Amino acid sequence: MAGLTRTAGAFAVTPHKVSVCILLQIYAPSAQMSLPFPFSSVSQHNRLGLYLLSLTKSCDDIYEPKLEELINQLRDVGEEMDAWLTDHLTNRFSSLASPDDLLNFFNDMRGILGSLDSGVVQDDQIILDPNSNLGMFVRRCILAFNLLSFEGVCHLFSSIEDYCKEAHSSSAQFDASNNDLESLIHYDQMDMEIYAIDKATEELELQKNVNRSVPFHLHTPEAIFKVIEGWRVSPKESSRTSKKITEATLVASASSSTVEDTLVDESLFLRTNLQIQGFLMEQADAIETHGSSSSFSSSSIENFLEQLQNLAPELHRVHFLRYLNKLHSDDYFAALDNLLRYFDYSAGTEGFDLVPPSADCSMYGRYEIALLCLGMMHFRFGHPNLALEVLTEAVRVSQQLSNDTCLAYTLAAMSNLLSEMGIASTSSVLGSSYSPVTSTASSLSVQQRVYILLKESLRRADSLKLRRLVASNHLAMAKFELMHVQRPLLSFGPKASMRHKTCPVSVCKEIRLGAHLISDFSSESSTMAIDGSLSSAWLKDLQKPWGPAVVSQDSGSRKSSTFFQLCDHSVSIPGSVSQLIGASYLLRATSWEFYGSALMARMNTLVYATLFGDHSSSSDGELAYLKLIQHLALYKGHKDAFAALKIAEEKFLTVSKSKILLLKLQLLHERALHCGNLKLAQPMCNELGGLASTAMGVDMELKVEASLREARTLLAAKQYSQAANVAHSLFCTCHKFNLQIEKASVLLLLAEIHKKSGNSVLGLPYALASISFCQSFNLDLLRASATLTLAELWLGLRSNHAKRALDLLHGAFPMILGHGGLELRARAYIFEANCYLSDPSFSVSTDSDTVLDSLRQASDELEALEYHELAAEASYLMAMVYDKLGRVEEREEAAALFKKHIIALENPQDVEQNMA
Amino acid sequence: MVSKESCRNEIRAAIRQLSDRCLYSAAKWAGEQLVGIEQDPSNFTPSNTRFQRGSSSIRRRFSTNESISTPQPSVGFSQAATPLPEEDETIDGDLYLLAKSYFDCREYRRASHVLRDQTSKKSVFLHFYALYLAGEKRKEEEMIELEGPLGKSNAINRELVSLERDLSALRRTGAIDSFGLYLYGVVLKEKGNETLAIASLVESVNSYPWNWSAWSELQSLCTSIETLDRLNLNNHWMKDFFLGYAYQELRMHTESLAKYDYLQGIFSFSNYIQAQTAKAQYSLREFDQVEIMFEELLRNDPYRVEDMDLYSNVLYAKEACAALSYLAHKVFLTDKYRPESCCIIGNYYSLKGQHEKAVMYFRRALKLNKKYLSAWTLMGHEYVEMKNTPAAIDAYRRAVDINPSDYRAWYGLGQAYEMMGMPFYALHYFRKSIFFLPNDSRLWIAMAKCYQTEQLYMLEEAIKCYKRAVNCTDTEGIALNQLAKLHQKLGRNEEAAYYFEKDLERMDAEGLEGPNMFEALVFLATHFKNHKKFEEAEVYCTRLLDYSGPEKEKAKSLLRGIRMAQTGFPSMDLEHFPI
Repeated sequence: MAGLTRTAGAFAVTPHKVSVCILLQIYAPSAQMSLPFPFSSVSQHNRLGLYLLSLTKSCDDIYEPKLEELINQLRDVGEEMDAWLTDHLTNRFSSLASPDDLLNFFNDMRGILGSLDSGVVQDDQIILDPNSNLGMFVRRCILAFNLLSFEGVCHLFSSIEDYCKEAHSSSAQFDASNNDLESLIHYDQMDMEIYAIDKATEELELQKNVNRSVPFHLHTPEAIFKVIEGWRVSPKESSRTSKKITEATLVASASSSTVEDTLVDESLFLRTNLQIQGFLMEQADAIETHGSSSSFSSSSIENFLEQLQNLAPELHRVHFLRYLNKLHSDDYFAALDNLLRYFDYSAGTEGFDLVPPSADCSMYGRYEIALLCLGMMHFRFGHPNLALEVLTEAVRVSQQLSNDTCLAYTLAAMSNLLSEMGIASTSSVLGSSYSPVTSTASSLSVQQRVYILLKESLRRADSLKLRRLVASNHLAMAKFELMHVQRPLLSFGPKASMRHKTCPVSVCKEIRLGAHLISDFSSESSTMAIDGSLSSAWLKDLQKPWGPAVVSQDSGSRKSSTFFQLCDHSVSIPGSVSQLIGASYLLRATSWEFYGSALMARMNTLVYATLFGDHSSSSDGELAYLKLIQHLALYKGHKDAFAALKIAEEKFLTVSKSKILLLKLQLLHERALHCGNLKLAQPMCNELGGLASTAMGVDMELKVEASLREARTLLAAKQYSQAANVAHSLFCTCHKFNLQIEKASVLLLLAEIHKKSGNSVLGLPYALASISFCQSFNLDLLRASATLTLAELWLGLRSNHAKRALDLLHGAFPMILGHGGLELRARAYIFEANCYLSDPSFSVSTDSDTVLDSLRQASDELEALEYHELAAEASYLMAMVYDKLGRVEEREEAAALFKKHIIALENPQDVEQNMA
Repeated sequence: MVSKESCRNEIRAAIRQLSDRCLYSAAKWAGEQLVGIEQDPSNFTPSNTRFQRGSSSIRRRFSTNESISTPQPSVGFSQAATPLPEEDETIDGDLYLLAKSYFDCREYRRASHVLRDQTSKKSVFLHFYALYLAGEKRKEEEMIELEGPLGKSNAINRELVSLERDLSALRRTGAIDSFGLYLYGVVLKEKGNETLAIASLVESVNSYPWNWSAWSELQSLCTSIETLDRLNLNNHWMKDFFLGYAYQELRMHTESLAKYDYLQGIFSFSNYIQAQTAKAQYSLREFDQVEIMFEELLRNDPYRVEDMDLYSNVLYAKEACAALSYLAHKVFLTDKYRPESCCIIGNYYSLKGQHEKAVMYFRRALKLNKKYLSAWTLMGHEYVEMKNTPAAIDAYRRAVDINPSDYRAWYGLGQAYEMMGMPFYALHYFRKSIFFLPNDSRLWIAMAKCYQTEQLYMLEEAIKCYKRAVNCTDTEGIALNQLAKLHQKLGRNEEAAYYFEKDLERMDAEGLEGPNMFEALVFLATHFKNHKKFEEAEVYCTRLLDYSGPEKEKAKSLLRGIRMAQTGFPSMDLEHFPI
């Protein structure tokens, strides 16, 4: 017995299978009858047949229903003869009094199979074709039973006893329940109370049933599904139709139910290797999707894994899952420990076995994968230097063992690391040990190294047909193209042109290439075997029917996207693939943000949030939310943004390295600046700076953001020289770290500072420089706002430049009005009015509407923004114009508005209190 | 200090009580200690004392007879700490006698069944104990029957639940005796309730300290010094045994040795104490001493198998092939199906370079006891020798998972990864091993070498490690030499000179010679010459002149240079010196 079950894919006889066999005996008794005894009609008979078919198909699943659940289902299938069915089932079980009865039972089972060669089959005889699904199942059961040793039979016997005992306690009550499903629930709950299970487990139990009944029919074809659909929607399920709850507790309840399972009957759990591997993959996916979004799930997974490890100490993938779990709950030491343990035990071969093992690898193990994982772990925990060391070693080892796949992945990871961390002093970190492909590149800047690494990785991945890696490399490339200024690489020296520019076309190209992945996957379903990463494709395959049939029914429109239904029906889209595609949408959104199309950015983010939100990792999902909130803040004002933020906070605050806090600080700072509440702005700004790591080179984006805001705060406090100093040093930093795009906005800020300080002449060159930067990097929106600043500077220089300023402004108007945020638009309007008013050739009395229209527009938009300073300016101008026109009433109104804004500006605390 | 006589009397009574309850291994242990007490010369004839060590069986029979003829002769004055409990029945019940004989025939369930309605404490205990053992036996069988596709099955002792229920009921009513408490502790431990288990065991040993099994269970629960310190134990000489053992398992070898030293005052002939002392000494790497101790132990107790694997390790380290084979042969004849015996044979083959065979025997040892730590580690070593690194890593990792503080296995892991060209990865394992044994220079040197590999080339870190190694009294003298060389490589000549000098001192003290010596002398001579310290330079040069070979020529030219520099002009007469 021991030897038998050990073989992979072994088919073990379990109590559940015995009950299926009993039902099969009812379905096809060996007696010669056209319609066996209890059935009153053929359709009833067929109904049971279909049900049995679905049962046999799902018997390879990891969970098996308990007898109680089986009886429940029978109740729904059997209609009027359900009592007979369940009675027969339980009687049959109770008649199994000794192991000998089992032996006889399986001997009898042989009788219901028709023989292969006997051609004479009478028409009215029901015989199971031995080659049919049901027949195969029976044959497998008989074979598995015959292979059992006597000890095995004894164990089966005692587990059948347990199986019945469990059901027995509740079945008495079920019999009395007269099929009233409503009361069924009551009984169920009473049952719980009787057995003194506390409230929490009761909850779990219920949810477990919900979740469990779904994967239970994994293999069921849709036709059958429809047949049994009717009873599938039991009150229990419909009482909890909200898919969101189900989803959130999926991990927890799945694991807890298995824990209970294992407590109840552990042998049920130790199934074939493949089943467990698949189950673990599913869990791994769940860990990634949910992150550490609830501490409960993390610890319950841990519990479950511990249990599993106790049961199957040779199942090393458990360690890897533990590592993942710890990684997502930010427990560095435990994560490290489990990662090392996993690779020590498995030599990196178990779990990566979807790759056909090549002969040379098996001897040495695949420890390079260990290095790769370790490197990525260090990266995640924010140890870039360690990560780089480890990845370097990974490159070296995979070169040594000529594991090109691993090498490609490692290079990609390395480039990712370099680009994310923007390590300043890589050369010192790498030291002399930096020997991989890029050894020639030791003199290059980080960006150039990233580029080379990406190219290398892409080349290898392409030749190895690692589609996902190719796609993600394309995306990384797009990101690189987006963020970094293209310069001719590798041809340095005085001759090389030093013109900086970005190329939106190539970004677009890369993104599109990345998105090709999806078509690759739909055209070719065998990719999984080639692509050797931790994918859960085949498991997803199993899970398919749950998408359209069940879920869309209960939960309405959540997954009603045509895209996914299409994919779900045709081929499996592994989670990793849809994640990548999702990432491409996010990247599109970001690139549109850069290039200044607010609408496109918003659209792409929305596409992501609606289509990929369920499949994405929690950090990607968070990013999408952040983008949407930022968009709200810019275009709809702070109130909406804060309301949205609250929702996002609930959803994502537990995610590790959450950026929500960052966003919150940004929003609060922005609003404080608008309201003129510098006392609030300053601490926000400081806190923002505090979020950035003190180490050089780490999280540069955050650092730049913090100093930008510091300068702006100083500017608002009218401390011009200090603001200019900060901006200057920021510019230097940007230059040092090659952050070209940030340079443009810093230049603009400098121009702004000089404008405010009344030093327009000094401001002009900065504004011009900013414009030229924007031009070459295709930052259209930023360019528009720089143009506005430039125009303002001209006007500030002398009022007779009004014409020129107006021309500039009108040039930028389409961009500003089309894509600019509230603030920018308001500024433009006010400035336009200002221009007209200061233009000596313009007469207010004749052309007042031009001015008034702009001003009205501006004050409307500023209202939403609570930007008192600008609003006061607008109403002041309006009052002046009305004064000129002699419209006293309106003048008074505008003046009152002006007063209100000025008061609010001077006493920001009062406003705060009012808000509260 | 407890009087020997009182100890003797306590143990004699305890042995009877323990074997009445079928706690045989505790009784065996107590018996060993009993004969370990030095006999009072006044009570025995000189011939008797002379034969005390050799013919222990005769005397043992004698002393048992004595204690039987006068049951509990000295209850009156052996009350140092804990009174010996009176037996609750002087005449054993018939059913008890039957059950005990069943038990002795290993028919546990039968024994338990016979005693199901008995009320005397002894019978109650035996009832539960037999039930427990029956469950254990079934568990072992099921473990093989049910072995799942992925290793271990979930076989459990099915009696635990009912045992826990019954024993806790007994405990509540206060009807439990110290043996029952011991069993309760064991059951709780198996159920995973460690704190309660500790409490129960402590209560048991406080009321009846002579049950060594209870003490060992307690030890296995004391995984840290904090838990050990928190135990509230009555003073008794058994406590000293316990502490000695516990300290040893917590790698506090000197403390443990002190305890055993003290105990040896009373139990001067105890084989157990001797073996434990040898174990501690082995951990302190006093191989010669350990060898002598084991030799003596074997003379006194030639059929002993326990702890002999340690002896074989010593012999292995000393490369004493013949002695090792002799030991292996002897142990093999005594009991070939003991993990220790297999381990010894494995060691022998390993020493002979027949690694496949060694692995086979280690495997057998592990079949007999899956948690046999040293076999895993030793098997790892064998696989390393066979260049099967993944298997080696697997074996080491198992050892580490059984006992996370096994520094040898951590070290082995580090070594294996270094062999595969993953020095950075290996560093983590070296760090782990050093964490558990920070005072071993070999580990520090291994880590330093790892830093020194061409892939990492982190020389500064290597220097730090070597410095630690020097502080840990590096016996092989690698560290000093390497320190000097590294400093030389980094162009820090002052430091290099300092370490070369130290190394030279060490070599002089140990009377060693060799290439290291020449290297040091040449460097020092050149160094001092360059720094115009001609006298020192000359001293080193003249030392070099004692040796033949190219160094001698080098010394001569150096000397010439020195002379020239000293006089300030090329001195012609040096050229004409007779060579």
